[in-house]
This record gives sequence, C-alpha cells and structure tokens, in this order.
Amino acid sequence: MHLPEFIRSTTFRWTLVVSGAFAVCIFLLFGFIYWQTAVYMTARVDNAISDEVNAIAADPPERRLDAIDARVKQDPRRVRLAGLFSADGRRIAGNVERLPPGLQDDSAIRSVVVVRVDNHGRENQTARAIARSLPNGEVLMIGRNVDELVEIARIVEEALALGMLPALCLAVATGALLSLRAKTRIEQVNKQVERVIGGDLRQRLPTHGLDDPFDKLAVMVNGMLDEIEALIHKVAGVGDDIAHDLRTPLTRVRVRLERGRENARTLEQLRAVTDQAIAGLDQSLAVITALLRIAEIEHSRRLAGFSEVALPDVVREIGDMYEPIAEDRGVTLRLDAADGFTVRGDRDLLLEAVANLVDNAVKFTPRGGRVELALLRGGSESVVRVRDNGPGIGANERDAVVRRFYRSDKSRHTEGLGLGLSVVAAIVKLHGLRFTISAGPGCVAEIACPQAHD
Amino acid sequence: MAKTLLIEDDRETADEIIAELVHRGFEVDWAATGIEGLDKARSGESDVMIVDRLLPGMDGLTIIEALRQERVRTPVLILSALGAVDDRVRGLRMGGDDYLTKPFAIVELVARIEALLRRPAESRETILRVGPLELDLLARTVRRGDRMIDLLPREFRLLEYMMRRREQLLTRAMLLEEVWSYKFVPQTNLVDVHMGRLRHKVDKSDEVPLIHNVRGAGFILRAPA
Repeated sequence: MHLPEFIRSTTFRWTLVVSGAFAVCIFLLFGFIYWQTAVYMTARVDNAISDEVNAIAADPPERRLDAIDARVKQDPRRVRLAGLFSADGRRIAGNVERLPPGLQDDSAIRSVVVVRVDNHGRENQTARAIARSLPNGEVLMIGRNVDELVEIARIVEEALALGMLPALCLAVATGALLSLRAKTRIEQVNKQVERVIGGDLRQRLPTHGLDDPFDKLAVMVNGMLDEIEALIHKVAGVGDDIAHDLRTPLTRVRVRLERGRENARTLEQLRAVTDQAIAGLDQSLAVITALLRIAEIEHSRRLAGFSEVALPDVVREIGDMYEPIAEDRGVTLRLDAADGFTVRGDRDLLLEAVANLVDNAVKFTPRGGRVELALLRGGSESVVRVRDNGPGIGANERDAVVRRFYRSDKSRHTEGLGLGLSVVAAIVKLHGLRFTISAGPGCVAEIACPQAHD
Repeated sequence: MAKTLLIEDDRETADEIIAELVHRGFEVDWAATGIEGLDKARSGESDVMIVDRLLPGMDGLTIIEALRQERVRTPVLILSALGAVDDRVRGLRMGGDDYLTKPFAIVELVARIEALLRRPAESRETILRVGPLELDLLARTVRRGDRMIDLLPREFRLLEYMMRRREQLLTRAMLLEEVWSYKFVPQTNLVDVHMGRLRHKVDKSDEVPLIHNVRGAGFILRAPA
C-alpha cells in the first residue's frame, strides 16, 4: 500500500503516537471517574439499607408489616425493595417474589438479582440487598435497585464518545498539517542547499520572521553561509596575491628571454640571459614552495611527534648560523640565551620559526644596525625575542605582516617572499604558542612558550 | 661507465633526465611503469636508481621496499612532487637513500646521483687529506701544509664533509641537509656566506684555491693537479 508522503513522515507518526497516548489517558480518566462514582453510590446505598434493616428488625413484629408496606409504597422511582419471608421461604409481605439464593442467613450486603413484583408486574432488578433472620424465624430482606449505575456507565461512555472522537480527529488533522508544513519548509531548504552545493554561495535559506526553531536554524545556517562566502572571497583574494607575486617574476623572465633571443650576439651573452631567467624562475618556485610549506604546517597533525626541545640550543644554533650573515651585512647580531628552558615541540619547525625571525630582522635592519636574539624567562613562560633597530612595523601593519604575502611598503625594494612571518605564525599556532609583533625602537618579535611541566 | 635505472612515467621528464645523464657519460635504462621498473631493478645490474614516487599502478616506495626485502642494495634517489617533510622521512625510512622534490634543477639531480655512486666508505682513518689540506678528526685540528687553520665547529664539520666528498659537486641543498641538517630552505643564502668564510680561511690569496664555486650549482673541493 502506498501512503501519501505526509502520512509516512515522522511528524505525522509522532502525532499519531501522542494522540493514542492522549486517548488512553482520557479513557483511564473516565474509567476512574466511573469507578469512584460507583463506589461512592454503592457505599451510600449500603448505608441506607443497613440503617433501614436495623430499624425494621428492631420494630415489634406487628409494626413490621406496616413499615414494609410504607417503604414499598413511598417509592415513585421503583428502586426500593423489601420483603418478609416465613422460615420456609414463603413471602409474607413486600415487593420481592422470593429470597434470592446466596442471601439467606447472611449478614453482609451483597449485589444480587431479584424479581420485583408490584402493580406494574414482574421485573428483574439488580440490587444491593441484605437479609436478616428475625427472632420469630422469619427472614427480613431490604434492598435497593442499583440499575442507576448501569445508567451512569452509559452516560460516561457517551461523554467519552462525544469528547474523544472530535479530539482525535483534531489531533490527526493537526499532525497532518504540521508534517505537511514541515515538509514544505524542508523542501524549500533542500532546494536552497542544493543550489549552494551546486556552487551558488549567494543563496540563503528562507526565513519567515517567526521565532520558531526552524527560523532560528535557518538564521544560523545563513550566518554560516555568510562566513563561508566571506572566507571564499578572502581565499580568492589570496589567490590574486599569489597570481600577482608569481606573475611579476615570470613576466621579468619572459622579457629577459625575449630580449636575449633578439639581442644576444655571443654564447656568453645568451648564457647570462639564461642564468637570469633561471634565477627568476627559481624565485617563482620559491614562492610556491613557501606556500606549500605553510599549508603543510597548517594541516600538520604532528603533535604526536613532539618531544622536549631545549630552547637555548635552538637559539644558539640560529645565532651561529646567522652571525656571519649579519656581519656580512654590517649588522651586529647579539645573542643572549639563558639556560634550562625546554618546550614540547618539533625541533626542526622551531628552528625554522626562529630562523625566519632572525632572517627578517637581519634583512630589514640597515647597515650599522643591531639585532638582538634573546631567550628570556618570564613568570610561567619563556620568550624567544628578536629585536632590531630597523625601520620597525607600524601598529596598523602588524596583523597584516603575518598574513600571507604581505610585504610592508617600506621593504618593497628588499628581496623577500613576504611569507616568512606567515610561516612563523603557522608554526607557532601548531605548537599552541603565542606570537606577537610590537614596536620597540625598531621591531620586536616574540614567541612566548609556556614552560613545559615536568 | 655507471649504469642508471630511471623509473619515471612522465615521458618528457624522463627524456630530459636521460639526455642530461647520457651527456654526462651515464648509461641510462628507462622503465615507464612500476612493474617494468621492478623487473629491471631485480637484475641488480644498475649502479644507481632514480625512482619517481607516483607511478601508475604502483607507488615508487613499494618498489624500493620490495627491492630491499629481496636484499637488492642498489642506491636509490627518490623523485617526488610531494615535498612535505613527512613524505621525505617516509621515503628515506622505506629504504631510499636520497630524496629530491620536483621541480628540481638538473644539476642538483646529477650531483646527488654522483654522490650516491661515490658514497664514501665508512673509513676508520682519523686524518683526512686532500692535497696539502689535512684534517685531524681526533685532535680537531686542520692544517694546510705548515699553516694551522683555526675553524669554528660548524666550519670544521663543513670542511670534513667536503673532504670526505672531494672532487664532487656539492649543492647548497645537499650541504644544508647534511651539514646543518636543516629540513627547510632559509630565505637568505646561508650556505654561500658560511662557505665564503671557510674559503677565506682555507685558501689564502697566494695559494692555489682548493674550494671552487661552480656557478649556479654549488661547490667542489679539489686537490691541486
């Protein structure tokens, strides 16, 4: 059997389940009301007949017949039952044909079926009744018709039917409506999401200006899409930068090769042109290598391979490495490494980070300047600090220099790939360290390493 | 004449490498697929192998691993477009002897092949000699003829490395990897500066130069003829 889709939907099924549970509860409630009413009425009836049987039994025998007659006569609703029977079971007075079996010689009140005889004829009635043996051997029976209880049960049933059916229909209809509505909205969302997946990032989920969870979800997803769109634009921007930084040297190479082909007269001249061209290509390749390196570090999950790295060794090694380079450039490199700091990390990457900082400092400090590479102990962390007295980096550029490819305008004429600090930032992030650039007299770059606990 | 086995699926790259190696006097055997390469390598006839990492049907590393398990000890240079440090470490652990990332300079490739072919045997000698140059590994002293040369520890290691590989072209990348054990390429030309210092100490202006700069390629330590 093929059901309409909304019936198979989860919303609709849950509606059915809830309606079912609701119906059961109502049913139990009505049942309870009926049961309590019956118990209460029975108790009242029982009290009344037990008072009455006591009263009549206490009467002298000659007044009993009158009392029974009076009781039977004052009964327009035909609910009172009374009977006086001789010891052999013959009826002496009252409106009960004979003593019901199961009631003889019993002092408790019971539910029995009796045959009522009066001027309306014979009739079976359900009753609560009690029998009492009298001192003269006769048996007195007093009872009360309780067919009313059956009537009450019928009323309860009717109320149930009248109340429950519309309620259930309403529940099912609401369920169907809700599931239809949910389905429509989900279909809208699906359609939009499909468009987004298809590449149209400008699509947004529909919102209805309501405060329902659907709208909240849609607003969240739209926020996410905004963020993704912005990021993609940013990436595209980085792509443009890359394209630009690659195109510049490549264009130079192309011009050189073209001119070389036209103008070179000797093999030597051609060789010189080729050498220049190769250098230009190497520069472009270095840009790509640096980019891949950053991506590699950023995506690295190398934490597992981390070990204790002695920071003084790292600092001294880089100091040794760069001392001659600084000297060649007429820059003084001062090294100040205190002992005893370790950090959890990858030794090669930490070397690379510090090397990049020193490389930058040495490169951007003018002849006669000073670069200081120091390892300092501060409270709970140690700090690798590279300080120079070069031109420095303006506060407005500090974030930007960490971004890929940014090169401060002051240094456009200096060789460099603009990627050094991005590499440092990536390495520092991987290690969970802190990287700051601030203004000293020149530029101060710091990597703060929390002390490894041992 | 050294026999080289080249396992490389890209025809153009292979042609360039073959042309250059033949020009340099190598005999080159070319295999375009991993299976073919493995068959040729098993014969054990080649003196050195160049293996591309990404081959159709088979990873270059698988070939090397298989060969090493079969106790074929031919030195292998791995070529790869994957430059990541981890890939490099894996390549070397699987039994490669050297690792070169694409794109590479052809001189770099040749220098590394020659280095693999002429790998210095583990010698027990404690004094290395190249021409008038004498390096004492135990006393940590260097002399050229009668002249003592005072070197910093790093310069000492650099010279030791060069003396063990005399008459060989050593590229900047090789020196960075072997002497400084750097896993990255610094932006500044560090090697040139350090080499300049060493040359200044080893070759005085009135002496026959021993350290030679090969333009665009690297350095050679050469005994005077």
